Amino acid sequence: MDKNYFFEDTITADEKRVDGVAKVTGAATFSAEHTIPGLTYAVFVCSTIARGTIKNMVLAKAKNAPGVIDIIYYLNCPVVPGYTSEIKEKNQRERVLNGLNVFADNIVYSNGQPIALVIADTWERAVYAASLVKVEYIEEKPETDFDNLMQKAEAPGWGGTYKRGDEDAYKKAEVMIENEYSIPAETHNPIEPHATVAVWEKNDKLVVYDKTQGPKSTQGDLALLFGLKRENIQVITEFVGGAFGCALRTWPHTPAACIAAKKIGRPVKLVLTREQMFTMVGYRPISWQKIGIGASRDGKLTGITHHAISNTSRYEQFSESIVDPSQNLHDCPNVNTSYKTLALDINTPIWMRGPGPATGCFALESALDELAYKLNMDPIELRLKNYAEVHPQNKLPWTSKHLKECYELGREKIGWHNRPSVPGTLKENGMLTGYGMGVGVFWAGRSSATARGTLYADGMFVLQSAISDMGPGTTTAMVSIAAEQMGLPPDKIRFELGNTDFPTGPTQGGSGSTTAVGTAVTLICEAMQVSLKEMAIESVPGFKNYKPEELDYKNGKVSAKTNSSTSISYTDIIKQSGKPELQVSKSTESFAQRDKYAMNSFSAHFVKLHVHPVTGVITLKKIVAVADCGRVISETTARSQMVGGAVGGIGMAMHEETLMDHHSGRYINANLADYHVPVNADIPAIDVLFVNKPDNIISPTGAKGIGEIALVGVAPAVANAVYNATGKRITRLPITPDKLI
Amino acid sequence: MNNQDQKDSRRDFLKKTTAMAALTISSPVLVKAGQHDEKIASFFEKMDLKIEVNGVAHQLSVEPRVTLLDLLREQLHLTGTKKGCDHGQCGACTVHVDGKRINSCLSLAVMNDGKKVTTIEGIADGDNLHPMQEAFINHDGFQCGYCTPGQIMSAIACVQEGHANSREEIQEFMSGNICRCGAYPHIVDAVMEVKKGGKSS
Amino acid sequence: MINFEYSRTSSVKAALDVLAKNPGASFIAGGTNLVDLMKKGVATPQRLVDINNLPLKQISIDAKGLTIGALALNSDVAENEKVKKNYPLLVQAINAGASAQLRNMATIGGNIMQRTRCTYFYDTTLPCNKRKPGSGCGALKGYNRMHAIFGASDKCIAVQPSDMSVALAALDATVMVSSSKGERKIPFTDFHRLPGDIPEKDNNLQPGELITAIHVPVNSFNKNHYLKIRDRASYAFALVSVAVALKVNGNIIQSARLAMGGVAHKPWRLKQAEEMLTGSAIHDLSFAKLTDNIMQDAKTYEHNAFKIKLGKAAIAEAINKALQ
Repeated sequence: MDKNYFFEDTITADEKRVDGVAKVTGAATFSAEHTIPGLTYAVFVCSTIARGTIKNMVLAKAKNAPGVIDIIYYLNCPVVPGYTSEIKEKNQRERVLNGLNVFADNIVYSNGQPIALVIADTWERAVYAASLVKVEYIEEKPETDFDNLMQKAEAPGWGGTYKRGDEDAYKKAEVMIENEYSIPAETHNPIEPHATVAVWEKNDKLVVYDKTQGPKSTQGDLALLFGLKRENIQVITEFVGGAFGCALRTWPHTPAACIAAKKIGRPVKLVLTREQMFTMVGYRPISWQKIGIGASRDGKLTGITHHAISNTSRYEQFSESIVDPSQNLHDCPNVNTSYKTLALDINTPIWMRGPGPATGCFALESALDELAYKLNMDPIELRLKNYAEVHPQNKLPWTSKHLKECYELGREKIGWHNRPSVPGTLKENGMLTGYGMGVGVFWAGRSSATARGTLYADGMFVLQSAISDMGPGTTTAMVSIAAEQMGLPPDKIRFELGNTDFPTGPTQGGSGSTTAVGTAVTLICEAMQVSLKEMAIESVPGFKNYKPEELDYKNGKVSAKTNSSTSISYTDIIKQSGKPELQVSKSTESFAQRDKYAMNSFSAHFVKLHVHPVTGVITLKKIVAVADCGRVISETTARSQMVGGAVGGIGMAMHEETLMDHHSGRYINANLADYHVPVNADIPAIDVLFVNKPDNIISPTGAKGIGEIALVGVAPAVANAVYNATGKRITRLPITPDKLI
Repeated sequence: MNNQDQKDSRRDFLKKTTAMAALTISSPVLVKAGQHDEKIASFFEKMDLKIEVNGVAHQLSVEPRVTLLDLLREQLHLTGTKKGCDHGQCGACTVHVDGKRINSCLSLAVMNDGKKVTTIEGIADGDNLHPMQEAFINHDGFQCGYCTPGQIMSAIACVQEGHANSREEIQEFMSGNICRCGAYPHIVDAVMEVKKGGKSS
Repeated sequence: MINFEYSRTSSVKAALDVLAKNPGASFIAGGTNLVDLMKKGVATPQRLVDINNLPLKQISIDAKGLTIGALALNSDVAENEKVKKNYPLLVQAINAGASAQLRNMATIGGNIMQRTRCTYFYDTTLPCNKRKPGSGCGALKGYNRMHAIFGASDKCIAVQPSDMSVALAALDATVMVSSSKGERKIPFTDFHRLPGDIPEKDNNLQPGELITAIHVPVNSFNKNHYLKIRDRASYAFALVSVAVALKVNGNIIQSARLAMGGVAHKPWRLKQAEEMLTGSAIHDLSFAKLTDNIMQDAKTYEHNAFKIKLGKAAIAEAINKALQ
């Protein structure tokens, strides 16, 4: 591996992913893969219109098909306590249950909406029976065409506008640019489809194997829906096969499986099809943005105006922080922004990797690039000229900010000096060659978390928290932290997750798992060492006369500071104490100093690419991804996150577009052949560099967060490189060959 | 049984199943009556299948519409082979049939009668991982791990086929396996390592 | 998926007999397209006749050319050393299609039988004259970026998706067909058809016929290239593709074969362009004139107008690549 890193003191416990063997042998058990006796299979019947009501469902044929156990739809759906407004209000403080109440009524809000569930003894029989259900609708004309309906967008309740200094100051600037940007819906498409297996062990005891980024959050949602106590519901999520945001909330299929299992009195497995992964579990919303930027002739920004619209569904309000980067990424005295949402007859969007900033930075970083050409200035110089030393919005210092180092590291690594200052003038082997860069930013912080640690006399240290891991490697990072803190080899440590019987952990999203759970793990390790010293004094004869402060803990041993021969291993302490184990639980509150600091992770992405002068085909040559993510806990998994984010960003820039037929309001590329995500052959060499300076204010782990900044800023870097190569400014993603000829 | 006998018994079988199919289509009442004897119904709808999976011979009875993928996952409980798209568009279901990599989601189980199937569960030698499994761990060729069994089965075949001679060739011949976590460069590193080590089988 | 009947057969005659007696039956070979269509409810055969045991897998080269059994796998053809040496265009086109796994399953006969990837065809809730005659063409006024610019009708604007077929059309291949009435040969360029008023018919195969082999005449072309322009670098269908085979002697193009994919309901052979190229000096090619001529008959729809410009670019680039 290339030594592309600039580490200060990385924890190098074990650079192999701790769940690697399970994942390469097929032993890792995902939600649909648990063997459950008496399992039945459920398959959705979905709406084939985008707007209207169901007049009638003809079920006879399906009911009589071989193996069919039951069919559930709005007319026979058992009462779901959480659907009633009374319960909703009672629990309002905890969380307002919104979204689609599956099988609650006959209203169709989107094409592909689940409207009935067929349960049979085998999956094949359920699929066949579902195809026999005939549905009659009262159809209304759907509104799905974002581009043509934008004028109907509405401001959110809080107003959606922001202003500091003068409005539209950019218009009076010495140099200014204006442009509009469009990003289509992008669908997360993790390779593991969403799956729920629901098992009612008793009338009021539910076990659910569910693909979720937040087992505790799913548990809470199901508790509200079914009127049960949280502790009567166990959610198990041992492995999550990717999610990128689409498993951040409880979608209708999870309650649907629970409703069915209860009604038929048998366990039910419900796995979404790939097509249903488009219609039921969200997507990055469609967006339109307009940016105007003005600067003095020497490149000091004087005004940014940023307007954005993104879509939501007809039945829910969904919004994103798209315009935020314009408010605070670069220093500018006059900024005004607006944000509106447009309700369409489509399913509800959900946050997708880098939500908000990924969209906003495409516009902002493209606009800055355009401005740099107009100023005849190097794009990096333009950003340095407007470097924000304090948060421009609230003037608070950042807990840490090393974006300048990101620029420097990336500039060097990509070979920025080869970048032509005039677009379309550099050729390599007949290929138009271009360089581009883009900046990424995302909120960093720390949420609350609880974990439990148990030290056993046989030497194993087991940590538990009810989080799930969709792939970034939380388990590996936590083992790494605990190994360093306890001075133990990683193979003596096990981090268990994915079970709501464990202490409450946060939902995995917003790049916050490591800081939150890592803090709890750090606190456990500290407390453990104190306890071991106390136990030694209490139970081990040679330690009786010592005080805790006279003892040291190091590498699994407690010893006297003054007499190193008085030393005992933690396993012996536990044995001699007569207790079976030592257990400590610790909670950490969310980061409280929000009035004192601004908190962000930053990244800078650099792209070198070729564009075929005749066919417009883009070939990426190299990507350099540089992160200011605080301290790097696990080099291997951090690097993989950055590489993966770059690949996701390439998809956003060049491939991904969820297409709709506006006559039917139906997705027409709801499959992986026609919805293009990057394949192996698309991906160039990706160099990952970390500034690796710890942020000890946000958390004792020193980490900030990686997952989101790994993607934010990649798409504009690609678009800017395309402009550098061709002189064509593409503002409507994805950048496909037809847009470059 | 000689060939002709087999054909005859098959023909009889087909006659019976044709009758069953006609019933299914024509009269719900009759079908319902038939359902009371599920065993008879399933006898007519199912076919015998002899298949060897990871060296273990299986004698099964399956509906013709069951894919090899669903047979592995739901009936043999070999869930290492993954369902990602069910339409041959992601590669997560890649297994080897008689030594060749295929998408098991597009292969009917009955079409594999008498064949030898190898899945991710069948490539390690006891606790000793296959060199490709080791290489995927060494190069962190995955994040979530869901596409990984398909990637590894594909990668082993890629080397065996002789399509691992350069990064570019590996990239092209591994493009039938989508990794949404984006581990592609590390996957190529892993394949390169195995290729260089000559450990392809 | 409906639960169909399934049987195996091991001779061409037996296969044809079963088909003759069961109008609702379909042959299945690799299954990569048929099983997919059955899962989507687009194809609903009552009965599948597995023809994988038929003795139609041989790949042979003799003085007359290359004969590929209909059941030879795509990968077996692409990996065959003799084919690689003598028919590089065919190998390039095969390897440009699908993925390594799919090419290990799909047969040559199945490849040319594969149905369009038009999304309106694949989605049984949307109108499509090809799937359900008389239901209308959803693509005509819908999303039609991938659709035809040549030879379409107001009934259907779908394109044939096979890359290999484009090369076979260029190379003057012949499809060998058997039926109870005997054998016949179909010139490859006449195998697929234009949609006209009966878009449900993809090709000119008659009911009860079975493809047994594809014959490609001796290849005298020393400059070959298959260029596929797509939305990602691999594992995607063509926006446009071009098959070029040239016989160049010295600086002069003595004969030329040119066909396009992704532009019509069949591989689009460019005979007029071939004539224009024949006799030209390779350093003196006027691509503008050539490609303008090719595209003069093109008709585009709301989202696929780019195919004219992209098609022109692809033809020029493919010829340049072949000549390199």
